[in-house]
Amino acid sequence: MTQRLDRKFHADWLLRLVGIAFFAYLFFGFMLLPCLNTLTSIFNVKNSSGARDPLAVIRFFLAGSMGKYVWNSLRLAILLMITVNVVGISIVLLTEYFDIKGAKILRLGYMTTMIYSGVALVTGYMFLYASDGILTTALKNAFPSFNPNWFSGFNAVLFTMTFACTSNHMLFLRNAIRGIDYNTVEAARNMGANPFKVLWKVVFPTLIPTLFSLTVMTFITGLCAMSAPTLLGYDSINPEIVRLAGSSTADESFPQARAALLSIILAMFTIVLLTVLSAYERKGHYLSVSKTKAKLQKQKINNPVANVLAHIYAYVLFIIYMTPVVMIIVFSFQTYQAIRLKKLDLGSWTLINFFGQQDYEYLTSRGKYKTRVGSISGVFSNEATLGGIKLSFLLSALAAALACVIVVVACNYMFNKKHKKSGVVLEYALLFPWLLPTILICYSYRTYFNSNSVWYVGNQNLYYAQNVRLLIIMAYTVTKLPFSLRMIKASFYAIDEELEDAARNLGSSPLRTFLRVKLPIILPSVLAVFALNFNALFTEYDMSATFASTYGTSYAMVIQAMCAEEGLYGYNVNASGRRCASTVFIMLVSGLILYLVYGVGARDLGERLDARKRRHDRWDRFLSLFAKKQTSEVKG
Amino acid sequence: MIKLNDIVVKFGDFTALHNINVHVKEGEFFTFLGPSGCGKTTTLRTITGFIEPVSGSVVVKDRDITHVPIEDRNIGIVFQSYALFPTMTVYDNIAFGLKIKKMKKAEIDRKVREIAQKVDLSDEQLKKAVSQLSGGQQQRVAIARALVTGPAIICMDEPLSNLDAKLRVQLRNELKKMQKDFGITTIYVTHDQEEALTLSDRIAVFNKGYIEQIGTPNEVYNHSKTEFVCNFIGDINRLEDEVVEKLVATGAAVDAMKHNYVRLERLHVNVPPQPGQVALRGKVTMREYYGLYIKYYIDLGSQSIKVIEKNDGVRIYEEGQEVEVVIDPRDIMAYAPGEEAEVGA
Repeated sequence: MTQRLDRKFHADWLLRLVGIAFFAYLFFGFMLLPCLNTLTSIFNVKNSSGARDPLAVIRFFLAGSMGKYVWNSLRLAILLMITVNVVGISIVLLTEYFDIKGAKILRLGYMTTMIYSGVALVTGYMFLYASDGILTTALKNAFPSFNPNWFSGFNAVLFTMTFACTSNHMLFLRNAIRGIDYNTVEAARNMGANPFKVLWKVVFPTLIPTLFSLTVMTFITGLCAMSAPTLLGYDSINPEIVRLAGSSTADESFPQARAALLSIILAMFTIVLLTVLSAYERKGHYLSVSKTKAKLQKQKINNPVANVLAHIYAYVLFIIYMTPVVMIIVFSFQTYQAIRLKKLDLGSWTLINFFGQQDYEYLTSRGKYKTRVGSISGVFSNEATLGGIKLSFLLSALAAALACVIVVVACNYMFNKKHKKSGVVLEYALLFPWLLPTILICYSYRTYFNSNSVWYVGNQNLYYAQNVRLLIIMAYTVTKLPFSLRMIKASFYAIDEELEDAARNLGSSPLRTFLRVKLPIILPSVLAVFALNFNALFTEYDMSATFASTYGTSYAMVIQAMCAEEGLYGYNVNASGRRCASTVFIMLVSGLILYLVYGVGARDLGERLDARKRRHDRWDRFLSLFAKKQTSEVKG
Repeated sequence: MIKLNDIVVKFGDFTALHNINVHVKEGEFFTFLGPSGCGKTTTLRTITGFIEPVSGSVVVKDRDITHVPIEDRNIGIVFQSYALFPTMTVYDNIAFGLKIKKMKKAEIDRKVREIAQKVDLSDEQLKKAVSQLSGGQQQRVAIARALVTGPAIICMDEPLSNLDAKLRVQLRNELKKMQKDFGITTIYVTHDQEEALTLSDRIAVFNKGYIEQIGTPNEVYNHSKTEFVCNFIGDINRLEDEVVEKLVATGAAVDAMKHNYVRLERLHVNVPPQPGQVALRGKVTMREYYGLYIKYYIDLGSQSIKVIEKNDGVRIYEEGQEVEVVIDPRDIMAYAPGEEAEVGA
């Protein structure tokens, strides 16, 4: 028996060593060292005479021209904090708290941002509002004096992001408001408070913790905005970092060091904000003390004028949310002529933006007709688009899975009572990327691994040719670790300690206990996290744009390219149509994933068995009908 | 059958168990009783192997199992939360241990169905998810799962504590019946004295990591060995000095130097005292109506005393009524402060 114990002991130690080595490699190699390199690169600037000048960038910054980007980002973040909260709180109250007619339909509209975001959403808005957009063209035709460039720069970014960034409100604020004990509302009403007073004095205070978190997250989102400023032309920090990263000392003074400085500034803002947030969260929340919660009932607005105004407000918001979605879907089935003329052609519908290829005939400057073969093509027939989809699919799936596996292994370790202290260290290591803006991580990877001298990756240049895909996978994985950890860790709390004891008592080995007892319990959450990670990464733009490489052209970058290349020299004639079709495809993928995660995946074994029984019953009834028919036929 | 010899368990600097010695006989229903944090669950977990003692030994059927791995101990457990695997059906929960033993499928099926029948679970229920069962049915699954592998002993850690009062009483009876039918040696942990008294063949009363007394329910209740036990089990009156003096004055054999206790049901109101019994005058100050019985609070002048009378419709006393409380000095349990008890009767 001693021998057996000895062997077990050795195997345990070996496993532990491998684990420690792996997580140390991940943390130091792909989090700490690249980012430290970025930090130090600020102070390694050489001046024109070749001497080291540690403070050159700081002087450059203080001299003026870089401050603009920081200020612009701050302005956007501050205003978004207000506008997103106004819209976000409105849509949640209108669908969950007040009794508004058609709330279910309204909710679907307000939730559309959950199935398309980032580049897909911004290009969708551009499709409507840009100078050649459908609505702008229509307005210009109606009012010739209308300024077609109204949708650009700061206003456009603010408008787009205000409506794009309410998904978190729809998820978390909605949950918070649904968690309110209705008895508290009734008690307040009983004591004579009117609905608005109840809202202000009873409901809002319980929502403050959630609202605080949402506000901080919105602020960070605004600060780190990427796709909207890039596409709509607004000089904020992130697009500038990407521009500088691709620039060289031949064009301007120390662009790399400036990019590093900007990303560090961004990181400092993020760290301060998140520290404030977690300090606030640690202070504790208002916990409902009631043991028998009553379900919230919708509040009727008694004042008829207020009621009508609330309905109008709700439906105006609905129209703003729904118009891009409807237009994109409708125009994805339209021909390139219709799209180019910005006119709906109800007579001709086509699938060409999705499948198949067509030739394009055009008149040259010499007055001859030429045919460009296959110049009109669908999402799934266009080589570049399909390439982007395939690449994004592969990289996102790999990274999403990798993040989940790493986090599950880590959680299994952390939740062992014997590893309390080392578990905390591990947890903080995995949460580290949360403190850093994505752009800092990606920019750091791009500069740090763009050399042959990083020994721990085998002296390979990871920013070279196909290697960049590896770099993207690592960036995707590392940036998804904090979210995955928070979600999967929560699911580990659902594992009753006694379950583990029970399995051991029945003779189960630790591995078997993990595979047969613990994994099935957390699996729905792990799959959900995988799906959500995949969903976010599949249409991800910020990171792949930072890497900007031919071998790493993600789907979102392909979509972005479609904005510019339409019909140029007769190529890509239906780029806009394909862009719409791409967005529709993304909506379908995201919608399916969200349905699987929140619809099917949330069922427990009992509910699944019930559903199966209902299916069997239906099938049996169907068969018995059939049998009856047959017997009656035989009789007849 | 099971012998715990001088078991000491420490958590860091804290000693959770001090020299625990218990001997459980074959087929016995043995209960560990005590308030929370007294060491009863720790003792149970030492027997099942989740905790390794610093010193002492656990011997089952003359085999020292102190350092035997949990899975090789052949001890079944029913957990407080039942610890049923939520992702498996009832059938798979029961079959789990058999599958680990790599039994043949047909054999597993036979055993699962056999035990299911014994604990009264239908074939239909076997197909269900555990979440679809009621609390009582879940308990039966937990028992079936613990018994199906044929353990020598079954340990139950407060298996009734998360049920409502009515179900608790009902399942308590079922549990006792099942234990009798299976004839299996059972160790039962509870903080509920009523549960301990009704179920057990013998009880060990724990306090702060020590065992205060081991005995049958009657011994523990009527002949409590220590002041802690007599206070912890059942309701009791501590007689204060003036009452004791009154008793001594009548010539009763009561030691005024000791702490004297008498149980509520051993006192009677307005009955003629028998030889040796003493009547004390008092006034009813409060009455609690329980249906089955009535509890009176009677002011004896120097102290208030609680008395229970069967609700037989004959002797009902009003608040403020002058009464006589009759006490038999032989019913008094006396404890020298800090010493073991000298129990009368």
